[in-house]
Amino acid sequence: MAAKAPWGRKQMVFFFCSVRGLSKVLDKKTVLFDRHVALGAKMVEYAGWDMPLNYKAGLVQEHLATRSKAGLFDVSHMGRFVFRGRDNLAFLQHVLSNNAAALNVGESHYTIIPNDQGGAIDDAYLYRFFEDEYLLVVNAANREKDWNYFQKVLKGFDDVDMVDRSRDMALLSLQGPLSRSILAGLIDSGDSGTVVDGSMPEPLRNCLSIVTINGARVLLARTGYTGEPLCFELFINGEDALMIWDLLLDRGAQPVGLGARDTLRLEAALPLYGHEFGLDPEQKQISVFSCSLAKFAVSFSTLKGDFVGKAALKKQFEAFRRIQYRDYSLAEDLPRIIMPVAVTGKGIARPGYRVFASDKHVGYVTSGTMVPYYKYVGEGLQSVLTEEKQMRSICLALVDSDIVEGDRLEIEIRGKRTDAVVVPYHLRSEAPPYARPAAYDNLFKEKEPVSTANDLQAKALTLLGKAVDNTLWRQGQCVNLIPSEQTASSLTRALSIMDPAGRYAEHKQVKAFAEADVFYYQGTDFIAEVERILEEQMRIFLGCSEVETKPVSGQMANAAVFSSLVDYINRANRKSEQRRIGRVLNHHIIKGGHLSAQPMGALRDFVARDPNTERPAVVNFPVLAENPYKIDIAACREIIAEYKPELIILGKSVTLHREPVAEIRSFVDEMSLDCLIMYDMAHVLGLVGPYFQQPFAEGADIVTGSTHKTFFGTQRGIIASDYKRDDVRWPLWEAVRRRTFPGSVSNHHLGTLLGLLMAAYEMNHFKDEYQKKVLANAKAFALALKEAGLDVAGDADIDYTQTHQVILNVGYGSGPEIAGRLEDNNIIVNYQAGPQEEGFTASGYLRMGVAEMTRFGMQEEDFKSLAGLIHDVITRKKCVRQEVTLFRKRFLDMRYCFSGKEFDNVLERLHRLI
Amino acid sequence: MIKEGLLYTKQHEWAKAEGNIVTVGITDYAQMMLGEIIFVELPAVGTEVIYDHEMTVVESTKAANDIFAPVTGKIVSVNSALESEPELINKDCYNAGWICKIEMASDASLDLLLNAEQYKQHVKGFEQQ
Repeated sequence: MAAKAPWGRKQMVFFFCSVRGLSKVLDKKTVLFDRHVALGAKMVEYAGWDMPLNYKAGLVQEHLATRSKAGLFDVSHMGRFVFRGRDNLAFLQHVLSNNAAALNVGESHYTIIPNDQGGAIDDAYLYRFFEDEYLLVVNAANREKDWNYFQKVLKGFDDVDMVDRSRDMALLSLQGPLSRSILAGLIDSGDSGTVVDGSMPEPLRNCLSIVTINGARVLLARTGYTGEPLCFELFINGEDALMIWDLLLDRGAQPVGLGARDTLRLEAALPLYGHEFGLDPEQKQISVFSCSLAKFAVSFSTLKGDFVGKAALKKQFEAFRRIQYRDYSLAEDLPRIIMPVAVTGKGIARPGYRVFASDKHVGYVTSGTMVPYYKYVGEGLQSVLTEEKQMRSICLALVDSDIVEGDRLEIEIRGKRTDAVVVPYHLRSEAPPYARPAAYDNLFKEKEPVSTANDLQAKALTLLGKAVDNTLWRQGQCVNLIPSEQTASSLTRALSIMDPAGRYAEHKQVKAFAEADVFYYQGTDFIAEVERILEEQMRIFLGCSEVETKPVSGQMANAAVFSSLVDYINRANRKSEQRRIGRVLNHHIIKGGHLSAQPMGALRDFVARDPNTERPAVVNFPVLAENPYKIDIAACREIIAEYKPELIILGKSVTLHREPVAEIRSFVDEMSLDCLIMYDMAHVLGLVGPYFQQPFAEGADIVTGSTHKTFFGTQRGIIASDYKRDDVRWPLWEAVRRRTFPGSVSNHHLGTLLGLLMAAYEMNHFKDEYQKKVLANAKAFALALKEAGLDVAGDADIDYTQTHQVILNVGYGSGPEIAGRLEDNNIIVNYQAGPQEEGFTASGYLRMGVAEMTRFGMQEEDFKSLAGLIHDVITRKKCVRQEVTLFRKRFLDMRYCFSGKEFDNVLERLHRLI
Repeated sequence: MIKEGLLYTKQHEWAKAEGNIVTVGITDYAQMMLGEIIFVELPAVGTEVIYDHEMTVVESTKAANDIFAPVTGKIVSVNSALESEPELINKDCYNAGWICKIEMASDASLDLLLNAEQYKQHVKGFEQQ
């Protein structure tokens, strides 16, 4: 921190660089130097480089422009080293803390260059754009130090070719909510020969791709140093840099200097070497694990082996682990940690200021200033960014490791103490396209105080009234297009609340009694019979020999299967730790995969960690570049051959195509893999048959599903297989039985089980007509939406869909707003993130299904009328609530269910019974 | 921009005396060198201040800068608009960006301040460094 000021005594300069003196000529200029000067930038010296501190707009406005639009940073001063040669990976594993071997081509990660004592020589980002080459980006201020250190260590390695590309390669950073659309508009596509690697990187942080922009090759990374969820860094050949810089500014990016780069990273609580790494204000080394990011940047994988600093880092890690549970017995190995702190009193916490807790000196501010933010108004997903600027005083502090979130602190500012509090974060990045400020007074909503008024009778009446209103609205006025929903028939619904509801009927087959079903309670004869007949009806429907009907949801059915597979693969080993499923092939959630087949969902506790990537051992189905809704079957074969999955999970929640069950079966058989092919038919269970798919005939081992999407309800789950008693995998089916009961349910909700039997009768009776009509309606609906001028996703050659679903592209980030507008017009759909979108808050698609409205009698022509109404709402912004309500009145009688006098009579009796 | 008719300190404060009340702010040169002002620590009304001693602090995005009292006396009012809009100093340092008013105990120190021409020379000295 230079303290030399142009005037006065006692001025303290906190910024990390000093104003360039007029006479001093710096030799280190980036290729964009003239552009910065022409844009009126205030140039400063930083790490020997002549860099823009801010442009004419100023730091505050540049910070806000990055958060609300898009900021463009010249970060060509950073060090860039390229590593090639046979031993490059071994070298990087030795000098870096993260597991470089975990990076596939097209991936990058954050890493530390540790020293022997558990401190950081530097922090860095490692990119793998090419099979045989790694690119390491280091801090400008440490470039020479890092280079010299690497040179020394390189002597111990035979074949590593390290090249400093810091001069000939420019590095631009484009950050903020508009960054994606700005870039997307510039990437050359279509003309073969100019596209190196296609388009945008996958919409996940740290993903890479290689593109061309106006003919120039650009290595493109979804990385950054601002906390923005939409973030890109562009590695460009020096001679192309000016052209690309100009193009990005033309498209609306705003140039941002180092000043705002620092406040943006502070708000995102990202560490800066010299502040959060290196030496603390007492000139003591800061431990790497003081920064909680180290969790992701340090790997102790056995596959990584030994590396510089490993022993010291391991000690810190043990202390870190205990500190998370407020066990400070090893705190001397990690005496201080870095925490985000909000200043609640007046003043600005600057680096080096002392921090106190109850009068005890507990540490120092490492970075801090006043940062601007635009206020959001409204709640949740509906909150919108305003242009009302506010400021808040925040910092990062290195404090004793027993300081926890919520602790009140005091920061000594020029001899006076001001109040501060430890906060969990300053900013949240999980709701793209915006990074959202988390101001201390708005971290969470306090629960409303519990009303103790003793007016429960009145409340009960209110509730009943509202339930009536809601039912009349949803059932009588709305057109429901949620593809995972269904209204059950009156008979099915009435049966669901008849007597077995509320009772228990736990039972299992006991081998000692020749596998007779033994019930644990009395009074269960009726439900025992219902369950037996339900299994029969479902076996007929699915064309298989075994069905388990006890799961009460599709997700539970999946979890029970995963648990059964773990049980099955450990059946020879009942003494030691039961191993998890070795490798799973599934649909990625952003490509339409269902939550229940993801590590973040039901798969989490059943799938192993890949020791190499240190992530769940899941690979995803490759999809066609021209149609991301369809599996690329040729590429899929290669993935199966490479990864040899133990479990393949077909089936999706965004589903337009039949799943290639037969092809997958042939690959697995041809490669003689011990692999379970599971088809989660949750969405399409009601379509099973000759018009859609016959999963067992095509080769599925296990089918799971929920019974209330295209099937006729009630809301439950099922598991099915075609295993016979003499199959080698029969014990797997026995495990499915056990892991359902007692593994997943004790009470399996007997009321809806009874209702489901009625639904199964209806389905088996009406499926021929119903399935044909659903599939025809979906195609007609898709075509009509297309004709109305809307952007229907999928393959025009199959009329966009082979299922009940139709997907509409309404524009990046517009999904929630348009779905809300449709709801205001009584059309109920759900917004959906598309295959190129970063998360559900950035959704640009609507997902619709025709199953429920087909059941209420809508025909192809009616779906064409509906498409017109939807077009009116989306494109013409018309209010059609009245028209939709009238439209729905034509479709109130349910089809594909039993009707007639004899059914009406008994339904009336059922009503009287409750 | 250096405004005629005001008095200046070598630490780049300006002072405007009207009777025994002196209004104080920082100069255009100071605000330019500091960059964007993000916080002004306003002194408490009633505080006694001494000529050429620290009186309060103005912070910009990159620095905290002490403000020195141009005269000896007592703070009688402060510009509370700066609490929510510290950037007023950047926008209009000689008017809306004033910091405080001091009731002089003695006007002796006024003679020690620079006039506009002297301050211009003083600033030129820095620019040539």
